[in-house]
Amino acid sequence: MHLTDTFQSALKGITVNVNRSLLTMLGIIIGVGSVVLMSAIGSSMQGVILGQISSLGAKSMVIFPGSSEGGPSALGAGRDSLTFEDIRELEQLGTITTVAPIIYGAGPATYGKEESSAQIFGVTAAFFDNQNLPAIEGRLIDTSDVNGNRYVALVAPEARDKLFGQEDPIGKSIKVGSNHYTVIGVTKALGSQFFQSADNRIYIPYSVARQVTGQKYVNYVTMTATESFAVAIDDVKFLLRRRHGIKNPADDPKKDDFIVHSSEEAGQILGSVSLGLTLFITTIAAISLIVGGIGIMNIMLVSVTERTREIGLRKALGATHRDILLQFLTESVMLTVIGGLIGMVGGVALAVITASIVKNILATYVFAISLPSMIIAFLMAVITGLVFGITPAKRAAELSPMEALRYE
Amino acid sequence: MADPSVPLIEIQDLSKSYFNDGVETPVLFHLNLKIHKGEFVAIMGPSGSGKSTLMQILGFLDAHTNGEYIFQGEPTQALDDDALARIRATRVSFVFQAFNLLPRTTVLQNVMLPLIYHPTIPSGERQKRAERAIELVGLTPRTDYLSSQLSGGQKQRVAIARALVTNPDVIFADEPTGNLDSASGVAVMQALKKLNDDGHTIILVTHELGTAQHAKRIIRIKDGHVESDTSDFTRLNTESAHNLK
Ligand SMILES: Nc1ncnc2c1ncn2[C@@H]1O[C@H](COP(=O)(O)OP(=O)(O)OP(=O)(O)O)[C@@H](O)[C@H]1O
Ligand SMILES: [Mg+2]
Repeated sequence: MHLTDTFQSALKGITVNVNRSLLTMLGIIIGVGSVVLMSAIGSSMQGVILGQISSLGAKSMVIFPGSSEGGPSALGAGRDSLTFEDIRELEQLGTITTVAPIIYGAGPATYGKEESSAQIFGVTAAFFDNQNLPAIEGRLIDTSDVNGNRYVALVAPEARDKLFGQEDPIGKSIKVGSNHYTVIGVTKALGSQFFQSADNRIYIPYSVARQVTGQKYVNYVTMTATESFAVAIDDVKFLLRRRHGIKNPADDPKKDDFIVHSSEEAGQILGSVSLGLTLFITTIAAISLIVGGIGIMNIMLVSVTERTREIGLRKALGATHRDILLQFLTESVMLTVIGGLIGMVGGVALAVITASIVKNILATYVFAISLPSMIIAFLMAVITGLVFGITPAKRAAELSPMEALRYE
Repeated sequence: MADPSVPLIEIQDLSKSYFNDGVETPVLFHLNLKIHKGEFVAIMGPSGSGKSTLMQILGFLDAHTNGEYIFQGEPTQALDDDALARIRATRVSFVFQAFNLLPRTTVLQNVMLPLIYHPTIPSGERQKRAERAIELVGLTPRTDYLSSQLSGGQKQRVAIARALVTNPDVIFADEPTGNLDSASGVAVMQALKKLNDDGHTIILVTHELGTAQHAKRIIRIKDGHVESDTSDFTRLNTESAHNLK
C-alpha cells in the first residue's frame, strides 16, 4: 500500500463519519483547551503576584508602628510609636537610605463641584524613589516642596479621573480637608498593592501633612537597605528598641512596638501563595485532561464495532497488518493533532477574553500563557488519542478477517 | 501459470472447530476435496452444515484447525500473515451474503478499494479497471452512487465487481443471492456465469437448486461431512423434479 493510499484512507475514515470525528476531536479540544485556559490563568495570577513583589522595590523595607499581632492592618490605625525623632535618627543609619516617613489619612477632596474621597499621603521625595514611582504629567513632590511647606498636591490616576475627568489637572487648585493645594503632577498608575487599589491617592508634602493634621507620629516609614537586609533590619531594631526603651535580647517580635518588613520576606510569602496557586491550577488542569481523555476513549470505544468490521473487510480484500495500523495511526494523528491545535487556539482565545474581563477588577492582571503546560496538554491529548485510536485497531488487525467481520 | 493437472484447491483431511471461551464447536470433519481451475462449483447443504465455514477457510478468511489446505500446489500451513494478505489481495476474492460494502462510499470507490492493497497493479490503472468491472456487472450508470443508494441486487453486483477487479484466480460467493429477490438473483448469477465463461473459477454456496444449476459441479455438505460431490446433471435434474414433487 502506498503512503498516499494510507493518507487517503485515513482522510476517508475521518470524513466518512463526520460526527464520530467531531466527537473524538471534541474530547481533545475540551481537554487541551481547558488545560491551556487554566494554566494561562495561573500564569496571569503569577504575573500579578510577581508584580506585587517587584512593586515593593528590590531592597525596600518598611517599618510599621504597633506590635506584630497588628500586622500591616495597623497601617493608619493611629498607632503612635514612630516619632519624628525616630525618623531623624533612622536617617543617620549607614545601612539604610532614602528613609521616607509617611503620614496617612483619608478624606474628602474637591475640585470645583466635584467631590470625592481619596487616600491622602504626606510624603517626602524619598517615597517616590522607594516606590519606583514616576510622574506621568507635571512633576513629583521634591525636597524644596517639603522644606518650603508648599501646599502642592500630586494626584494618582484614579483620583485624577474622579476629580478632573478629562480636564488637565496641572496648576488647578483642589481642596483637601480645609486647605487648598495646587496640583503639580500626576503619578503613574501603581495598580493594586496587596490586592487593594493604590491609585486613588493624593500626595502632599510630609511637612504640610504634619501641619494640617497636627499628628506627632508617622504612620509608616519606607526605606532602602544599602547592603544586606539582615544587617539593615538589625540596625533598625537596635535603634528603635534603644529609643523606645525596649529590652528584647531574644528578638521576640511581640515585645516590640514596631514591625520591620523587607520586600524579601514579602516576596517569600507571595512566592508561597504563588506555589499554592500553581498546584491548584495544575490539579484542575490534570482533571480536565483526564476528563477529555475519557471522552476520547469513549468515542473510540463506541466506534470500535463498526471499525472492527471495516478492518475485517479491508483484511479480506488483502490489507496487511501494517496497512491497517498505518491507516488508523494516520487517522488518529490527524484527529488528535487537529483537535489539539483547535484546543490550544480556543484555550488561548478564552484566556485572552478572561484577561480582558479580569483586568477591570485586577488592573495588573495581564494575559499570559504557559508554554510548557500547553505542550504537555497537547502531547497528552495526542497520546491518549493515539493509544485509544490504535489499540482497538491493533486488536482487530490481529484477528482473522472473518473474526473481525463477525465482531459485534 | 500452473500445471493444469495440479488442482487449484486441494484439501486433505481438513477439520475445523470454533473455540469460544474454551468451548469447542467442531464444525467440519476430515474433508477431502479437489477443485480445478475454471470450475464452477456450488456448495449446498442444510443450514448449519458448515458451508460458510468451509468457504471462509478456502477463501483465506479464517484458519482451519487440522489437516492440509494446498492452494495452487503449495501448502498454506506455514504461510505468515503477510503472505496470506498477499494471497487475499491477488489470488482470491470473496462475495459475502451481507454485501459488506463500505458505508457512505461510492460504488467506484468501493470497487477500487481492493486495488489499494494490490502489490502490482499501478495506481494509475485503478479507476479504469474499476470502471471495467462495474461495466461487467451492468452498473455503469450507478458508478457515483453511494452504497446506501443502491438496491440489494445492485449492492451484490458491486460486491461482485469488487471481487473481480483484481482479476483473481478464484471467486468465492457465499449465498450471493440469499438476500435478493428472484429477478436480482438471476442478474447476479448471470454475472457470475459470465465470469466463469471468461475462465474465472467460481465457488458458490447456495440453498436454491435453481441457483446451483448454473454450476457445473455440486458438492453437498451435511453435518460437516461431504455428503455427495457430483457433476452428473441428469441425476440432479431428476432430483430437482423430485424435490418439486
Ligand atoms: N464463530 C462461531 N463460533 C462458534 N460456532 C460457530 C461460529 N460460526 C459458525 N458456527 C457454527 O458452525 C456451524 C456451521 O456454521 P456455518 O455458518 O458454516 O453454516 P452454514 O452451512 O453456512 O449455514 P447457513 O446455510 O445457515 O448459512 C453452525 O452450527 C454454527 O453454529
Ligand atoms: Mg452460511
